[in-house]
Amino acid sequence: MTGDFMIYAALNVAFVLLASPLFMTIIKKVKAWAQGRKGPPLLQGYYNLAKLVKKETVYSPNSSWIMRTAPYVNISVMLVAALLVPIVMIPEPAYGMGSVILFLYLLALGRFFMALAGLDAGSAFGGMGSSREMTISAIIEPITIVVFAAMSFALGTANIYEMFAAAPAMPSLLPIAGALFIILIVETSRVPVDNPETHLELTMVHEAMMLEQSGRNLALMEASHAVKQTLLMAFLINLFLPWGMAGPAGIIFGALAFLAKGVLLCVVIGAFESSVAKLRLFRLPSLFMAAFFLSALTVVMEIFA
Amino acid sequence: MLAEIFYGGIAALLAAGIVPLAFSGRKAAGTFSIASAAAGCVALLALSVYAFFSNGSESFAIYSILPSVHIGAAIDGLSSFFIGMISAVALAVIAYSSGYVEHHEGGRRSKNALLSLMCIFIFSMVMVAASSTMVSFLLFWEIMALSSFLLVMFEYRKKETAKAGIFYFVITHLSTVFVLYGFLSIYQATGSLDIAPAGAAAGAAFLPLFIGFGIKAGIVPFHKWLPYAHPASPSNISALMSGVMIKVAIYGMARFLLFVLRPEAWWGVLMLAAGTVSALLGVIYALKEHDIKRLLAYHSIENIGIILIGMGLYVVFSSAGMPELALLGLAGSMFHTLNHALFKSLLFLTAGSVVSAVGTRNIEDMGGLVKRMPYTAMLFLIGAVSISALPPFNGFVSELMLFQAFLQSGTLASPALKIFLVACLALFALTSALAAACFVKAFGITFLAVPRSESAKNAREVSLPMLAGPAVLAASCMILGIFSFQIFGFAGYAVPIPDMAIIGMLLAVSYAAAFYALRFWSPESVRVSETWGCGIPSQNAKMEYTASGFSEPIITIFKPIYRTNKHSERLFFDKYGSIFKEGKAEIELVKFFEEYLYMPVAKAANYIAACIAGFQNRGLNSSVLYAFAASLLLLLVVRAFT
Repeated sequence: MTGDFMIYAALNVAFVLLASPLFMTIIKKVKAWAQGRKGPPLLQGYYNLAKLVKKETVYSPNSSWIMRTAPYVNISVMLVAALLVPIVMIPEPAYGMGSVILFLYLLALGRFFMALAGLDAGSAFGGMGSSREMTISAIIEPITIVVFAAMSFALGTANIYEMFAAAPAMPSLLPIAGALFIILIVETSRVPVDNPETHLELTMVHEAMMLEQSGRNLALMEASHAVKQTLLMAFLINLFLPWGMAGPAGIIFGALAFLAKGVLLCVVIGAFESSVAKLRLFRLPSLFMAAFFLSALTVVMEIFA
Repeated sequence: MLAEIFYGGIAALLAAGIVPLAFSGRKAAGTFSIASAAAGCVALLALSVYAFFSNGSESFAIYSILPSVHIGAAIDGLSSFFIGMISAVALAVIAYSSGYVEHHEGGRRSKNALLSLMCIFIFSMVMVAASSTMVSFLLFWEIMALSSFLLVMFEYRKKETAKAGIFYFVITHLSTVFVLYGFLSIYQATGSLDIAPAGAAAGAAFLPLFIGFGIKAGIVPFHKWLPYAHPASPSNISALMSGVMIKVAIYGMARFLLFVLRPEAWWGVLMLAAGTVSALLGVIYALKEHDIKRLLAYHSIENIGIILIGMGLYVVFSSAGMPELALLGLAGSMFHTLNHALFKSLLFLTAGSVVSAVGTRNIEDMGGLVKRMPYTAMLFLIGAVSISALPPFNGFVSELMLFQAFLQSGTLASPALKIFLVACLALFALTSALAAACFVKAFGITFLAVPRSESAKNAREVSLPMLAGPAVLAASCMILGIFSFQIFGFAGYAVPIPDMAIIGMLLAVSYAAAFYALRFWSPESVRVSETWGCGIPSQNAKMEYTASGFSEPIITIFKPIYRTNKHSERLFFDKYGSIFKEGKAEIELVKFFEEYLYMPVAKAANYIAACIAGFQNRGLNSSVLYAFAASLLLLLVVRAFT
């Protein structure tokens, strides 16, 4: 690997790992404010992870090695995915890195093992969570792919690095921003798709799958979930608000700019979550249809433009 | 030299087929058969790998039956690819069979018959791929159909098997009829029975050939035989049928539709449409299945759809004058053919091990097998990860190539075609996401959590040969995925996809880094304690999520496609219907294709047969009369047309 790419890789992954828990906490904070509560301190996300790593891990006697490996598979998938989404700077594409399909299927790999871990302990909650998670991710998949097809038609590339380099996206791509936002909400299990705050069986999808995870495994799962959120946020930010993203010289400036924009987006997410109610599972396809409409519209506009 | 190896390999396979029949009562004959077949496959594999990478083509020998009717064999890039695939999978299946046959019920004669038929089946598939004339193609195609029919009927005493076998027999001959018709129209256009480029004149052969090969490959709506025939046959045969026999039909399509005929743009559109529909319906039906082998059979329909999508992309792009994308589509399609052969036979073999250990094909009666059959579970998981197209394994790479081709279709000129391609792309993405959901179900319910039945609780790991065969396939799935970039490079194609070796290495490095970083931070302490069950102290199998429960949300969302009918009857104590007395409800699956496509055809055929039946069996005199009348008619017709 070239030296430049190594530097980029180390910085990008380190930034994503460090910033992700903060973004999670900010959303919690915004939601707390909306409910008239004070909310957790900004560093609570980091304290939680540090606490969980030191706690003992409890395994069900029913569970197998799937339960033991799934958290590590998830975090390593997210670390590799973090290489594909440039945040602090845009490197030269090397080894075909930056393929958008690879990014999506790395997320799918993590999800596959997470869902298996949900079934592993033999708890009905875990099975329910896995089943719902796989359903939701399956029906959001065609929308995601159409969004990226629209972008690759418009920007002439299916490589994330090149897409980001071609940003800011033209105004005709704005409907895509709406679709990307819905994808972000769905993939990070937020209201109205799921509720990250509760462990009630009626609402939970992602949390149900995590129910049997504990100790450092839970910490890994939560960290990878936070990383996934940051990466998906990066698509919205770097495609539609790319200003401040600098070359190798301005890495620190670029990182700070991303942090500021990320905080802004988190406030939007928090406000959005506070203003809508959880949808019934079988009402979700209509939300997805809205996203599909936005992305299909863009494709049609691109094709006839 | 190539010819000698080819003859040697073929002769070894043929001997492996004949010897156990001749000495049907001896165990040694079975052992000889396995050894000879394995040797034959190794020879053919080596030959085809060499021929494929050296890009050589060679024709072996031609036997004339009649003037201008020849039987011949030849090897070029395409056929060596398929021969290599057939012999590689066959090798693993033979290794598996050496253990599986011993578990199989029945006496020595029955075991030897199974081995013998299997070797003849493998032989016929190799010869179809090696045929250089349409006559020998049809001849071996028929041997393949007959030997596979006998193998499907192997457990003929079971009622279900008999039904599946007859169904398969009819459908497979329907396929032959269409293929024969296609061949005759090529002959009419070119005047030659050799398999050689026929030019644009033979375009009329497209539809019959597409339907003929489509039936055999299991394309929707001709797919119904697959979910009947595959579960009915012994597991090693299911692996061969699903892994390679339907690929022989793909070979026929690739050979005749893409290279013998000259593809036109609308063929590509038809292939894409048929492929997308097959892929989507295949996986959607698979989600509903709880019979593990039938579930896998439906996934074969899905994957055949994906292969067809790739061929469709090739035709669309090449007729639009975009050779690079066309090559990407074709390479993706062919690579997926190979990958599917590997992981589907892996899945069928390991599923066969599970079925023979648990004694049922219903996954609702399995569970907890990961602890009882750890190696089988591991191998099945590798197959599941590959078929779900997850990186860095092989299934992902071939689907990635197709996705890349789709995403670059923005440069196509025709807007209508672009919109069509985006629609296909969206459904293709849906397909592969649903496949992942289905394999979470298949692996999770079969292998994880608590056993759901007594027999699953007592299941034992299978014998070494039954692990060795699948292990070879699993290793090839991993190697073909991780080193895909290098392998394509070696074959002289700089494929525009990420280097999976790097991705795989990065995944491994970050796994190890996360593991050791946490260990370094604080030592891990572990406790084993009951699964949380809302306060109920001990968890039992009834509390687990079931396979039906798992797929319920998806089934509800796609309800219009399943066409279920729900009936409910309720009786009340009072006339206002407020105090419920009793009732019943039933859900019934409308077998759409059977009711609306197969049954009308079958009824029409029966009706016509009933009309003709009156002329039958009227003794020798009337038979002679019929023969005379028919000859006279034929002469008159020929006279009228020439």
